[in-house]
Amino acid sequence: MSEASPALSGKEGVPPSGKVGTPSPHGRHGLEPFFATVESAPDARVAISVRTGRGFLNLRLNPHSRKAREAAERILGQPMPLAANTFTVGKHRVYWLGPDEWLIAAGEERASDLGSGLTDALAGFHAAVNDLSGGNVELLVGGAHARTALAKGCSLDLHPREFAPGQCAQTSLGRAAVLLAADGEPSTYTIIVRRSFSDYLCRWLENAARPHGAGFSVL
Amino acid sequence: MLLIECPWCGPRAETEFSYGGEAGIARPADPDALSDAEWADYLFYRSNPKGAHRELWNHDHGCRRWFGVERDTATYRIERSYVLSHTGSDAATGSDAATNAGTGYSSGNGD
Repeated sequence: MSEASPALSGKEGVPPSGKVGTPSPHGRHGLEPFFATVESAPDARVAISVRTGRGFLNLRLNPHSRKAREAAERILGQPMPLAANTFTVGKHRVYWLGPDEWLIAAGEERASDLGSGLTDALAGFHAAVNDLSGGNVELLVGGAHARTALAKGCSLDLHPREFAPGQCAQTSLGRAAVLLAADGEPSTYTIIVRRSFSDYLCRWLENAARPHGAGFSVL
Repeated sequence: MLLIECPWCGPRAETEFSYGGEAGIARPADPDALSDAEWADYLFYRSNPKGAHRELWNHDHGCRRWFGVERDTATYRIERSYVLSHTGSDAATGSDAATNAGTGYSSGNGD
């Protein structure tokens, strides 16, 4: 979890806090060594970026409980997706993970406030809010050949006809389990992957994207 | 490779799933009342048919839900996938199963 231990927080000059989702010092994502050494091609047609400072919450509640859903949506300020494998975009992104499970992606500090807000709002309901900020990494893959590169390790049909903007899927990319989402712009994808798989996945992506020219950046 | 239809995510590659054995095996209500032979039968013995077989699968690289699949063990042909009912039996069909969509919640008493 992202909650820094008091000892570490003290060393880094961040005051310890009891709140869930305390931002990790400097918004580290663990991919610094990879992005510091990887070389971008001059005319990249696949752009691979890591987004720093992102927070993630896992939300579980009974989808048939209108009151619980409305309580959560009031805090979120946007509807929760009820259709399988879709996401909603508002101030945050809310991804469908299962019939009673969602992933909320927000700014790291906002996620911490959201987490407390949701926990309070859902106190009387059969629901659970867990902060996964330190456990996930968000990557963006875009560029003209992004879809071709991803298709090398993904069994889903990523053509916009089948995988339109607003759709997401938990699936395998290479050998890693990921949450893959089709963003608004064509051939632009958000990938949320477990932190411990992120180095592997970036190296896999580099290999898959190399023939098309791969560009790397930290957002 | 099998193409397995997850009731929520649709058709996905077999590598996204894990197998959970024969479906529809109900845990005895009162295990203490059973003889060792009956308990062993519940724990270890499976029907192992040649032909239609109802089995459990978990979509563990996807939505991580358990569901049922009816598959022919001789031809590997998958006849259907279905949502398990919240009572634990695998006989869920019809509107109740569809509304509850295997969430383990019954509709109507949500609050």
